[in-house]
Amino acid sequence: MHLALFLVFGIVCVAGAVNLLIQSHPIQSALSLIVVMASLAVEYLLLGAEFVAAVQVIVYAGAIMVLVIFVIMLLNVEHEEPRRKRLRFLVPVAIGMAAILIAETAFILYSVQAGESNLPRTVSSVGLTHSIGVGLFTQYLLPFEITSVLLLMAIVGAMSLARRNTILSSTARVVPGAQVLAMDIVNPRAVGNMTAVETATTAEAAHLLGVDSRSDPKDRE
Amino acid sequence: LSFWIYTLVAVIKIALMLFVLLTAVAYIVWLERKVVGRIQNRWGPTRVGPFGLLQPAADGIKFILKEDLTPPHVYKPLFIAAPIIAVVFALTSIALIPFGNSVHILGYDIPLQITDVNTGLLIILGITSVGVYGVALAGWSSNNKYSILGSLRASAQMISYEISLGLSLIGVLILAGTFSLRGIVESQHGHFWGFIPNWNIFHGGQFIAFFIYLTSAYAETNRIPFDLPEAETELVAGYHTEYSSMKFAMFFMAEYANMVTVACLATLLFLGGWNGPIFGPPLLQTLLPVLWFFLKVFAFIFIYIWVRGTMPRFRYDQLMAFGWKFLLPLAIANLIITAFVVAVRA
Repeated sequence: MHLALFLVFGIVCVAGAVNLLIQSHPIQSALSLIVVMASLAVEYLLLGAEFVAAVQVIVYAGAIMVLVIFVIMLLNVEHEEPRRKRLRFLVPVAIGMAAILIAETAFILYSVQAGESNLPRTVSSVGLTHSIGVGLFTQYLLPFEITSVLLLMAIVGAMSLARRNTILSSTARVVPGAQVLAMDIVNPRAVGNMTAVETATTAEAAHLLGVDSRSDPKDRE
Repeated sequence: LSFWIYTLVAVIKIALMLFVLLTAVAYIVWLERKVVGRIQNRWGPTRVGPFGLLQPAADGIKFILKEDLTPPHVYKPLFIAAPIIAVVFALTSIALIPFGNSVHILGYDIPLQITDVNTGLLIILGITSVGVYGVALAGWSSNNKYSILGSLRASAQMISYEISLGLSLIGVLILAGTFSLRGIVESQHGHFWGFIPNWNIFHGGQFIAFFIYLTSAYAETNRIPFDLPEAETELVAGYHTEYSSMKFAMFFMAEYANMVTVACLATLLFLGGWNGPIFGPPLLQTLLPVLWFFLKVFAFIFIYIWVRGTMPRFRYDQLMAFGWKFLLPLAIANLIITAFVVAVRA
């Protein structure tokens, strides 16, 4: 029963992955990816890793894929138009890589079948909440902490990239007349550089800051 | 239990739970119309049956008999799939909710729960997080600007509030030491200081977590004051603008079934589940826990309706700022303090 379900969901998973590549519309690709994630969760569950299965659904099928679909909807991405082929020399490289991967898989399958299984026939505790918790806070504490610092760096990096274009806050405005600005306001790369930059007019200051020169909010309406 | 009896019991339990849930959904709608009516100084439904009690049946017949319109410009497969996704995931999560101890019938010990899973709470969270797709895809496939705005709001809102919702539950998990909902309820058994029940809301100091959960749950179920995805004054009807008849009814059912699930979860995690005073003859002793459970759930549903009749809708930026800048730090603080207290006691 378990083996049959494992095979069925394995096939569903691979079919979803293939469909992800074939579909031309981003939303349908994203939906195929959800199928892949969900069937992977079922595979984990069938292997007895309840916690990993639940987290797979919550994090990947739930949160991350919702974000992906959110972005696709927000940008209103249309069908991919067929582009002319570039980087043709990559095609034989890709075929070679695929051949190596298939050979590796075949080798692993062959060697596993050939070898005598000497694993204990008890229920594994891998993937259960308790074993994962103990593992993360004892044996794998350092890798765990390094991973979290990496994720934090990614978040901070994304934030700083996103904020780069809007130097000033939305409430800031350019007052009419000549302006004196700090260097780090004019150039976001010069962080902490307080050298004064003088401009002759409001328009010039607004141009430097990348904001609308019509300073007063009333003018904009 | 042999395989066939187990299957029979499971099928009976599933049928019974579905019946109870769907009837509850229908009558919560009735209750809401009545209570909001009283809050606004009017009668609510009165014409169909005594006190308008047959109104849900009339609504159901109307939904089934109305013409099922599919506008020509929609993306049809997803347009049809979206309400099904919404209602299926909303109805699935009730399978993991325990609503009482086990009962003895004909010599068999039958737990009052469709299925008892070790990681029950996590699986419910997983099901709710996947349920967002119903709303998100409905808006996208409708090909309508109001619908897609509603969907965008729904996805953003649900992702944002799911974080504080999840963090508010971790305090309870630290105290109970298990993901099993049955285990969490059993950890809240008994009293302290003689009379105050051992519920997490009193005993574990999860009072703040309870309010974080309650607020996030309102946002997760798209209810006032966080019903931005279907804000009538701005978005016609939000993500279900293009839906009619039974497909619309499916979204409606999903919303109210989600309300019931959220109320059940709050009862189990914070209000001690079916724990309560037990007395009287044996039959009453078996029925009282179930009664306490349903009374607590009812209280939650009533608060939902009460809030709907009382609060105005948030503005979108207020909603996001409240979730990220207030609820999330508060939930993290609660988590750290709870973990610290438990570590000191241990």
